[in-house]
Amino acid sequence: MMKITIITGGMGSLYRSEEMASCQLFLQAEAAYACVSELGELGLVQFRDLNPDVNAFQRKFVNEVRRCEEMERKLRFLEKEIRKDEIPMLDTGDNPDAPAPREMIDLEATFEKLENEMKEVNANAEALKRNYLDLTELKHILRKTQTFFDEAMSDQGMTEESIVLLGEEAVKTSGQPLRLGFVAGVILRERIPPFERMLWRACRGNVFLRQTEILTPLEDPVTGDRVHKSVFIIFFQGDQLKSRVKKICEGFRATLYPCPETQAERREMSLGVTTRIEDLNTILSQTQDHRHRVLVAAAKDIKVWFIKVRKIKAVYHTLNMLNLDVTQKCLISECWCPIRDLEKIQMALRRGTERSGGSVPSILNRMETKEQPPTYNCTNKFTKVFQDIVDSYGVAGYREVNPAPFTIVSFPFLFSLMFGDAGHGTLMLLAAIAMVVFEKRILRQKSDNEIWNMFFDGRYIILLMGAFSLYAGLMYNDIFSKSINIFGSVWHPTSGEFSAEIIKTHKDLTLDPTNDTDYRGVPYPFGMDPAWQLSLNKIKWLNSFKMKISIIFGVGQMFFGVVLSLQNHRFFKDSISIFCEFLPQVIFLTCIFGYLIVLILHKWIAIDATDAGCAPSLLIGLINMFLLNYPEEPCSSRVPPGQKGLQSFLLILIILCVPWLLVLKPYILKRRYQATQQKSSSRLGTSTEDGKSAEDAIDGAIQDDSHGQYEEELNLLEIVVHQCIHTIEYCLGCISHTASYLRLWALSLAHAELSEVLWNMVFRVALKVDGYLGVISIYILFTPWACLTIAILLLMEALSAFLHTLRLHWIEFQSKFYKGDGYLFDPFSFDKIIESRADEV
Amino acid sequence: MNSLNFNIDFGYLEGLVRGFKSGIVKQADYLNLMQCETLDDLKLHLQSTDYGNFLSNEPSPLQVSIIDDKIREKLVIEFEHMRTQSVVPLSTFLDYITYGYMIDNIVLLITGTLHQHTISELIPKCHPLGSFEQMEALSIASTLLELYNAVLVDTPLAPYFIDCISEQDIDELNIEIIRNTLYRAYLEDFYKFCQTLGSTTADYMSEVLAFEADRRAITITINSFGTELTKDDRATLFPRCGKLFPEGHSALVRADDYEHVRAVAEFYSEYRILFEESGNNPTEKTLEDKFFEHEVMLMKKAFLEQFHFGIFYAYVKLKEQENRNIVWIAECVAQRHQTRIDGYIPIF
Repeated sequence: MMKITIITGGMGSLYRSEEMASCQLFLQAEAAYACVSELGELGLVQFRDLNPDVNAFQRKFVNEVRRCEEMERKLRFLEKEIRKDEIPMLDTGDNPDAPAPREMIDLEATFEKLENEMKEVNANAEALKRNYLDLTELKHILRKTQTFFDEAMSDQGMTEESIVLLGEEAVKTSGQPLRLGFVAGVILRERIPPFERMLWRACRGNVFLRQTEILTPLEDPVTGDRVHKSVFIIFFQGDQLKSRVKKICEGFRATLYPCPETQAERREMSLGVTTRIEDLNTILSQTQDHRHRVLVAAAKDIKVWFIKVRKIKAVYHTLNMLNLDVTQKCLISECWCPIRDLEKIQMALRRGTERSGGSVPSILNRMETKEQPPTYNCTNKFTKVFQDIVDSYGVAGYREVNPAPFTIVSFPFLFSLMFGDAGHGTLMLLAAIAMVVFEKRILRQKSDNEIWNMFFDGRYIILLMGAFSLYAGLMYNDIFSKSINIFGSVWHPTSGEFSAEIIKTHKDLTLDPTNDTDYRGVPYPFGMDPAWQLSLNKIKWLNSFKMKISIIFGVGQMFFGVVLSLQNHRFFKDSISIFCEFLPQVIFLTCIFGYLIVLILHKWIAIDATDAGCAPSLLIGLINMFLLNYPEEPCSSRVPPGQKGLQSFLLILIILCVPWLLVLKPYILKRRYQATQQKSSSRLGTSTEDGKSAEDAIDGAIQDDSHGQYEEELNLLEIVVHQCIHTIEYCLGCISHTASYLRLWALSLAHAELSEVLWNMVFRVALKVDGYLGVISIYILFTPWACLTIAILLLMEALSAFLHTLRLHWIEFQSKFYKGDGYLFDPFSFDKIIESRADEV
Repeated sequence: MNSLNFNIDFGYLEGLVRGFKSGIVKQADYLNLMQCETLDDLKLHLQSTDYGNFLSNEPSPLQVSIIDDKIREKLVIEFEHMRTQSVVPLSTFLDYITYGYMIDNIVLLITGTLHQHTISELIPKCHPLGSFEQMEALSIASTLLELYNAVLVDTPLAPYFIDCISEQDIDELNIEIIRNTLYRAYLEDFYKFCQTLGSTTADYMSEVLAFEADRRAITITINSFGTELTKDDRATLFPRCGKLFPEGHSALVRADDYEHVRAVAEFYSEYRILFEESGNNPTEKTLEDKFFEHEVMLMKKAFLEQFHFGIFYAYVKLKEQENRNIVWIAECVAQRHQTRIDGYIPIF
């Protein structure tokens, strides 16, 4: 709603940036918070930091900011927990006002309570889970060790108490069965190999390790990750080894469990463990339920809480930028705001004061400043993308002519010259229309896909590019590299001297445009004649045409750019620049390339097929004009009599323009400076005669002058250097930029050729096959043709054409008038703050 | 590894480390940090540096140890990233950097177990860059031979350990000897490895490691006064890759007090300055600080040249210095010890 009023309200607001005022705001201490929060909702005021030298932690409201950060931390903690349980967070799109400072305490209390509750639940759950883990591990140990013992028994037929590692030998040597001790435990699976190695080394091979994997992954109680573990059992002899083994187990963070020695005890223990696990399970699920309930309740509000806290923080952050009045009763701020919206800002301030119940109104005071104000261009969803294109090159200076409104037309137009294919244009147009029509639905989905978002943000420019390409394609009569014959071609091979037989037997025939029967004598009414699509010299003809078109449009755009510089000079009342820059620039451009265009138009109009042999060569002609070289040629008689004189005159003008552009401006500035210099020195002279207050005057004058003089002199050198660069850049630039516009032709040629190659090499193969086989081959070959068309011609070619258009605008067009040395208006706005935070998350 | 092909394998990481380097806390930030009154102020200000929100999830009140851990954690994350992205020989080079920390960790654990601390108490104190998987089982060893055979034989430190294997039990003096023997072997090995890399890396690293070796030699000598360490033993601890080797070493072996050491350093211009400017008065900087300053100066030099590995080493060392600085300031803030707060060593 706001945006619409801006468009209708301010005529030409895109042409120049908004008028800005530097204002001073006096806010009553008790109303400051409410006022700033109202301004934040409005988003039209850019505060200037009045305490840039003060550290972040020495500012006035640092405690409040810190409290907000603490709240944010708690909220983040809650959010993390909510995410862990995969509870959907409700985004109602609510946008609550920044709560009053006293509500902050309530919020803090709520968060504190929630966090503590959460922590308590977590601690409980962790303890329970640890218990649970221990029991499950024990269960596994009992089960697995059972198999170890079973194997051992079946192997040797011994009781488990007398399992002998060294087998019969040991029994023999010692004379009695060895009693082996053992420990059993659980260890992380990836630690098994080093564990085994270390055991072997530390105990010199005197232990026996059996291990087996626990198949189901277990949950780590602290991190909640699933980890794979293994059960191991180590047999050893003697207490010394036992302590050593235990130390190693501790070192590898293995958990040891008591394991009874007899089978009966083990079985009994196993039963006990199982029942305890079941009990624990019920308790665990109850804890989980409780946790879930708490989190679900929190999930409902968390988005709103986040917004509230961020708003409070933003307000205090802004308040930190303000200055405190000596009386401590009011806060002073300096800010930029658009003059057109002063009314709204006043209203917001009044609302803020009312809300806080203050009696003294807040005062908004305009003040004078020498600083350059920020650039603020109101855009809507349509113009935004074009403004962004301009801004990414450089932000316009304050009230400088903004190229964006012209870009809206010229950008898609130049693009279409390169992308001229009605088929591809239609596809692009349809895609853009789809994005525009389903705009709201897509916006609501908030996609994270960067590439998609890029396309979507540029939907309006794509829309225009598609439409213009469609038109350019019709002009080129080029649809997927084919032409359509709507009005009937003006070339007629059959009715002339070629009999039907000759046409059938000959592959190539030459049609003579001078022959009335071959050529109807009037051009095809709209765009290119379809006959060219079939002709052998199609490329030659199209090249000549497209090159000339490129030059005409290119020079036109550059000329327009120079005219815009006149608008800037007039607006900033810079009459020197009009006479010393704009005028020579226009003359320079017109004399070379304006004249070239005249020659092109002359060639198109005045020369027809009958005297094609005498058509002047434009390039050679232009070069000869500079060389003052007019060689005798067979067609020289056709050259208009005044041409030589005219060209010499133009040449003299061109040459004159260079020193004009180079010298005049610095010279005038120097003269002016000297004049002021003299004036001030004479003033100095007169004031000394007065005698009385002479001393003060001198002092003041000297101070003034020494300051000003230094600056002037410095500037003079700078001006000369700047003018030098400017002149060289402009004169060489005109020539190289004109050549640069030939990319319009080159890209267009490349596009047309590529699409023709694709048609001929892929799809035409299918069309050549006859009969039912043909149907099948069309069916098969259509897919690759369509895919390649979309991938190469629509995406890649469009990207390349887009980039070239971008370059033509940034360099060739904008260099003629655009300084782009401003900075963006960055208002304090809640919407922006919340949006950017949402991106971060 | 010449300048022509360097970027193929290591260009990304070099760029990355240069980016990291520009995030090192500047002098202006230190000046601001020094004005902090509480650790929360410190946290607030650190947010405006490259550390960003690294403390934002820590509840108040903060402790210095938490800040220390978090700073270290950040370095470790960066280092691990670089290590995983790197290929030979850079990966080997980065591994070499970690060996120094491994030695410190081993010594820390042995000392800790000697003093009857449990391993689980000690593990959090170890530097994460120097952790290895057998580390926690260190306590099983009671003699050096056992330590070698059971624990260290699998680690990359094993070859360094050869020199100090003996059947002796581990005691305090022993540990210091172990540390210094290991470090000597490590430095010499690292030095040799850097020489094989050639070009700028070798040039730069030999300078840096020579300084490191000389610093150790001087420090060992100074610390050995009044202990049981014999002069011959002392000689075996000096890393032999510094500028002091061999003449300086033989002079240091003969030294009996601080003045002797100082006299030895007289012959080496860069160390003479350090000795001249240091002192034990509260207003003067200690020799240790001067060494650190000199180190910082050397490390900053690494970034003046391109296409070498020295910057990775330098970055880790500079980050460590930054860590020490911030912790120093944090300690001073926490203990309200404002007079000594400027005892940090500025980097940029």
